[in-house]
Amino acid sequence: MRTHFRCVGLIFLCSMANEATSQVRNVVIYDDAATELRTPSPFTQSKDLWVTLAELTRSTGFVVKPQGVCRSELCFPLPKQRKADFLGQRGKVTWFNLSEFARLVKQPVAHDEKLATWCFGPRPEGQNGYLATLEAPNFALPDRSGKLHSLSDFRGKKVLLITWASW
Amino acid sequence: MPGWQIFYHELKDKNFEIVSVAQDTGGAKDASPWIEKANPEYTVLIDEQHLITKLYSMVNVPTAVWISEQGKIVRPNEVAFVDDRFKSYSHMDSGPYLEGIRDWVAKGERSSFVLSEAELRKRLTPVSPDRLMADVEFSLAEYLYHAGHGPEAIPHFKQAQRLAPDNWNYKRQAWLLSDAERDYGTNFTKEVQKLNGKPYYAPRQMPEPADKPN
Repeated sequence: MRTHFRCVGLIFLCSMANEATSQVRNVVIYDDAATELRTPSPFTQSKDLWVTLAELTRSTGFVVKPQGVCRSELCFPLPKQRKADFLGQRGKVTWFNLSEFARLVKQPVAHDEKLATWCFGPRPEGQNGYLATLEAPNFALPDRSGKLHSLSDFRGKKVLLITWASW
Repeated sequence: MPGWQIFYHELKDKNFEIVSVAQDTGGAKDASPWIEKANPEYTVLIDEQHLITKLYSMVNVPTAVWISEQGKIVRPNEVAFVDDRFKSYSHMDSGPYLEGIRDWVAKGERSSFVLSEAELRKRLTPVSPDRLMADVEFSLAEYLYHAGHGPEAIPHFKQAQRLAPDNWNYKRQAWLLSDAERDYGTNFTKEVQKLNGKPYYAPRQMPEPADKPN
């Protein structure tokens, strides 16, 4: 299950590793799941987030292919003239500019510089996609005992989806 | 919540479900006392990341969405009280809303409370780039808070509040996680006073008799 508790564990490990190496390790939050990157970026002058191709896949599920940057059936071609904005070589390692990719696909990004944490939100078409069909956006959330329930579990019944809060 | 349990009990054998979702960064720890007190038979879920607030563009609680057997939205989110304890905020009776649900449960698509596709499209509009940025700033803030960086979360909570100024969920949740007066220079009572007569909840747009002014 993707929860903050996993994130908390990761940042704890992250801070221990930082003490050992004195190097900034970025944390990437993508699709609400946090991943601590293992390899510090050599692009120290860049304000963008550069990740290795392996860590791109580990943190986002995207893979760089000849036809573009892909995840299952979804593929975003990189602009031919601007390949260097997205891909950079350092020694044997190819790096990917995840910030530039977010700008390309109009994905919102929040960044905390001091804590080297990057949070990537949904693309506009992901957020607004349900407007085409008017289908209620699906979700999976836990009950108090941790058991996951999806909205789609209730298909075939009328559902009153109601929110509340303790505050 | 006890009110919704009584209401659910009345309708649960008519192919009707309540899915009630707590918008609480504090998760089960914060939400549980309320759930234990009401002990509802319907489904209660815990949403630490305010996913439903984001997915359904909610700005307040309690609000509810009506979803058909086919999984389609038939009424987008609107204020949803089961009783009149908070009428001073809502300026609306809960009765007509509950009557509307009963009508929908009995008549389905033929209910006059079910909105046409044209009306749904009028009420449901694409989310702005600012709203998407507000959501991601809020997500980052929650993450930092959970990671033990409460003070560092505050600028990101503030940024979310600036970008989505009508979102009370983003305000009230952030205020609860710290000293609102100290860190945000305000509190809930002050902000409600600033409304200066403007409604705290968007007025419900429902057919008669719910449209009648109170």
